[in-house]
Amino acid sequence: MATKSVLNDSKQVARAVALINLGARLQVLESETDLSYERLLRLYKEVAGRSPSKGQLPFSTEWFLTWQPNIHASLFQNIYQYLTKVSALEDIDAIMKAYKLYTEQIAACGVEPLLSITRAWRLVKFIDNSMLSMTTCSKCGGHFVSEAYENSRNFECGLCSPPARAGKGAASGGILLH
Amino acid sequence: MTNEQILSAIREANLTYLMLAQNLIRQDKAEALFRLGMSEESATMIAALSPAQIFKIASGNMLLCRFRMDDEIVWNLLSNHTAAKVDNDSTTRLHASILMAGRFAEAL
Repeated sequence: MATKSVLNDSKQVARAVALINLGARLQVLESETDLSYERLLRLYKEVAGRSPSKGQLPFSTEWFLTWQPNIHASLFQNIYQYLTKVSALEDIDAIMKAYKLYTEQIAACGVEPLLSITRAWRLVKFIDNSMLSMTTCSKCGGHFVSEAYENSRNFECGLCSPPARAGKGAASGGILLH
Repeated sequence: MTNEQILSAIREANLTYLMLAQNLIRQDKAEALFRLGMSEESATMIAALSPAQIFKIASGNMLLCRFRMDDEIVWNLLSNHTAAKVDNDSTTRLHASILMAGRFAEAL
């Protein structure tokens, strides 16, 4: 390839390194950079110091609709949409910045980040493809991740109307109600 | 507080705000727009200010940064004033940050 741009190549490598440092799976890198699988694999081993995890990515939309993950996903998606609305960023750059801001905010609230960068990336794709959507809560007016065709008239978010067993888990670092 | 003190306190706050804003915008503009909640045009203007200009703009009798949660729901969540189903402090703060992150109308 004679026309391959060195500058673009270094940009792609820098982006891949940033993603690996955030803990992204190899599939994310393959989709978001133009680098070959072999180069990505070498890069991954060099940056992370280990081989990438094998196997398929989690592909179900269900996870984002369970109580705790939904709150994490909604915070991330709100930040992501804010960033894409106010500035012209490439999608993957917006995802990385939003992910950084999400982990920052979640840490400030004393909660463990449940959402991985790979999940966050999946979430954006799901919403782009209308497999999930954002619905406004009828009580607090916040935007929450929901099923694609949620009825917004009666929709109440997991924080205004938590389900019966919510927040009862003993795991530390989770979202608690009391 | 005397009038003199009020004016100097306002100038101090304005200076700190403008310098912080300038640093944030120069470091990472998109991120700064989210943190500061301002439009891209204002951010571009602030980033271009010289120290002398900042000093001039900062002195006056008006604060330059504005209150960000001017609605009751977010305010109640942050200050924990109303007894709701959820009364865990960090969870209500999380709720408030979701609501605040969803408001970009002011930043457009």
